[in-house]
Amino acid sequence: MILSGAWEVCRKDWRLFLRDRTALLLSLALPIFLATIFAAAMGGFGGGGAARVHLLVEDLDQSARSQSLVRGLEANASLRVERALDTRRRIADGKAPAALVIPAGWGASVGSAQQQQLALYRDPGATIEQQILAGALLPALLGSGDEELTRGIVLHGMGELGFSFEQFPGMRSIFDSTWEAISKWADEHAAQDALPGAPQEDFDFASFVPRLVGMRVEDVAGGEDATQKSAMQSHAISGIAVMMLLFGLVAAGGTILEEHEQGTLQRLRLAPGGGSAILPGKFLFTATLGCAQLAILFVFGGLVFSVPVFRDPLPLVVLSLAVVAAATGLGLALAMLAQTRKQLEGFSTLVILVMSALGGSWFPLIATPAWYQKLGHFTLNAWAMDGYQAILWYGKGLGGIWLEVLVLLAIAAGTSAVAARAWKRRFLSTD
Amino acid sequence: MLPLGSTRGAPAIEVRGLVRLFGERRAVDGLDLELERGQSLGLLGPNGAGKTTTIRVLCTLCAPSAGSVRVLGLDPQREAAELRARIGVVPQELALYDPLHADENLEFHGRMHGLSGAHLERRVDWALELAGLRERRRDPVSTYSGGMKRRLNLVTALLHEPELVFMDEPTVGVDPQSRNHVFEMVERLHADGLTLVYTTHQLGEVERLCDRIAILDTGRAVAQGTLEELRRGQAHSAVQRYARVELDEGTRTRLEAAGITFRVEEELPDLEAVFLALTGRALRDEE
Repeated sequence: MILSGAWEVCRKDWRLFLRDRTALLLSLALPIFLATIFAAAMGGFGGGGAARVHLLVEDLDQSARSQSLVRGLEANASLRVERALDTRRRIADGKAPAALVIPAGWGASVGSAQQQQLALYRDPGATIEQQILAGALLPALLGSGDEELTRGIVLHGMGELGFSFEQFPGMRSIFDSTWEAISKWADEHAAQDALPGAPQEDFDFASFVPRLVGMRVEDVAGGEDATQKSAMQSHAISGIAVMMLLFGLVAAGGTILEEHEQGTLQRLRLAPGGGSAILPGKFLFTATLGCAQLAILFVFGGLVFSVPVFRDPLPLVVLSLAVVAAATGLGLALAMLAQTRKQLEGFSTLVILVMSALGGSWFPLIATPAWYQKLGHFTLNAWAMDGYQAILWYGKGLGGIWLEVLVLLAIAAGTSAVAARAWKRRFLSTD
Repeated sequence: MLPLGSTRGAPAIEVRGLVRLFGERRAVDGLDLELERGQSLGLLGPNGAGKTTTIRVLCTLCAPSAGSVRVLGLDPQREAAELRARIGVVPQELALYDPLHADENLEFHGRMHGLSGAHLERRVDWALELAGLRERRRDPVSTYSGGMKRRLNLVTALLHEPELVFMDEPTVGVDPQSRNHVFEMVERLHADGLTLVYTTHQLGEVERLCDRIAILDTGRAVAQGTLEELRRGQAHSAVQRYARVELDEGTRTRLEAAGITFRVEEELPDLEAVFLALTGRALRDEE
């Protein structure tokens, strides 16, 4: 009796579930969609087109040796090499995660006592990219086919580790001294880390390898408080802020549908001028709610995680107003296009999660393939994230975010126009 | 188109040949309707008869496909804003904000109708008094009973002192006490000169509250008039009761001498019988 009753309850619930399109969408289609997006972001489709690190190369030497090195880097499957000038500024502006500068005279100096140093400019906020780059640099340099260069690199590397040929031929002593050098190097770092106020870092593979091969490494992005931690925190706070803003504002826009279902919307329409006041009123409510949401989250991020939100508030306020306007327009447009509040909830969850994944709210777009980054910029999240990272990480002012602000305002205008048109057709028409 | 005149002296409602199409379907099909100021009209009809569409046309929410409509002398489409300021609509749904207090609901709707300051305060007090909700004015509407919500729903439409009020089944789902309170409210308002259009499926409510009755079916008015006129109009369908008495002459003379007389009386049909006679007994499930 119990079993047959349970079976009937189960059958009935399946029947209800299969007739609920929203539940079907969220339970079955959305996971597939998100898994596809994540897989594409991390590895490309069908095993090809995996994310490659964008490396700028500034060859001031133009020697056969330097050109051989550049070719070696270009041949590396982990790197997307772009030959460029003014690379230091471009890294500081967040255009790429790293740049390799080959100084003039480097090729001729290899193997000499005054060997010129290669320079590596980095954006320390691009943590994943620096790891990949470090892993790619050594084989690229060693594999450039230049014996003199390889010898120089090994010599330099051994010197970095404390090895000296004068102690040769005792192999054991070589091993021991190398081991001791590595241990000493690690101990020194541990001792430095233990000092009061010293930044707590794990072994930094991304910095170790370039230094091992004789490069001068300089972190040029991220302002005064440039640490990988602050970059991640800036991204996390702004990413979550934008995503939750979208959820909040779609829900606020959905109050129109709620009022429609409850009958209060018709009552409002019957007030003189009520029809014209409702949508602007909803926009105002939704936008002010969005401002409050962003203000609370950024102040929290500033106080608890030291995200530099108070460093230059004006660009942050201007960008946030543009983000709120765009998100409000989108929220109202989605609400106007949905037939019921339940439909809106399902549809908007799908749209917001996909936009957040594509637009870089969950992970930095710089870690994704170029095609993914282009696709991501069809979402307002990507423009908002670009703007916030420009302010919070790269320390830019109003002049550095004008494009993002313009695009967001254009999105706001477009989505608001869609919302207004749908509103008139659906709720104000007497036809 | 009806000639334009002073709106103050115009009938409350003047409808001629109203047609409203939804695609191929004729929701209202050549309706004529008239109501003088100060009167109350009961709008009756089975589901799908066109009552709701007619009300929506009259209160500016729906444009007619053909025919002419004047409400308080105004064109509901061209002079919608002016008309909306002079009419009130009590919807069938409880169009209230549950988390807000009765006060807050009334103040909001009052402001949407342009009331403010001391005048708004007075109107809110008046509405709460009329609805019998003065003691609960600061409680969230979500804590109210169904009857309390109905009363608040009704007075919300009266805040701005409308000249004509449309009431769409204002007593659905309430207990007899609350229904009686609503009746008393409506009777008091009507006695004060308010013009009313009242739709319901409860024929007894119309008999009690309305001066005139219009019965709609398939988008047309199949009968209009006072209750008495409608009953007389359907006298042929009355249930006539006869007493068959056979008396001999002597007995009859003795009874008449004792003051007992005999006559045959015709019993007029009640409103329900009239309604069924005009609209039929077939089920009308709404499309």
